[in-house]
Amino acid sequence: MADTPAAAAEPAGQTLPAEEAPDATVLVEDLLVEDLLVEEVSIDGMCGVY
Amino acid sequence: MAERAGTLFDLDRAWRLHPHVSIRPERFGALLYHFDTRRLSFLKNKTLLAVVASLESQRSARAACTAAGVAAAEMPAYRSALGTLAASAMICERTGQ
Repeated sequence: MADTPAAAAEPAGQTLPAEEAPDATVLVEDLLVEDLLVEEVSIDGMCGVY
Repeated sequence: MAERAGTLFDLDRAWRLHPHVSIRPERFGALLYHFDTRRLSFLKNKTLLAVVASLESQRSARAACTAAGVAAAEMPAYRSALGTLAASAMICERTGQ
């Protein structure tokens, strides 16, 4: 998934400092898992869909 | 709000899918539709689908997570996800058991 925030967090050609990379990666992954498990929408207001 | 819902969600209580919610399995996980609120929830992986689908048959949400293979380190994320589903009435507490 090249368009995920994780990919955006590490632009091509840039690397995090060695001493910061592991913690930062773990934090981003934890946040992504939590954010992505459930997404909610309402179909009210979607005129023409039904 | 998701974080707050997750903090308040009690993994050790018995839960079930709301009777007016239907599950449609999808390649990414599943789609829940609530016929009363007309809300949709996307479950973004099949483990969460397994958790939600087994809530009715497990003594607690924690047991449902464990049975679905959720590791201890992942439990906070699943608690938060279940809290979100509870806040939107996709799942509800089982009572009288």
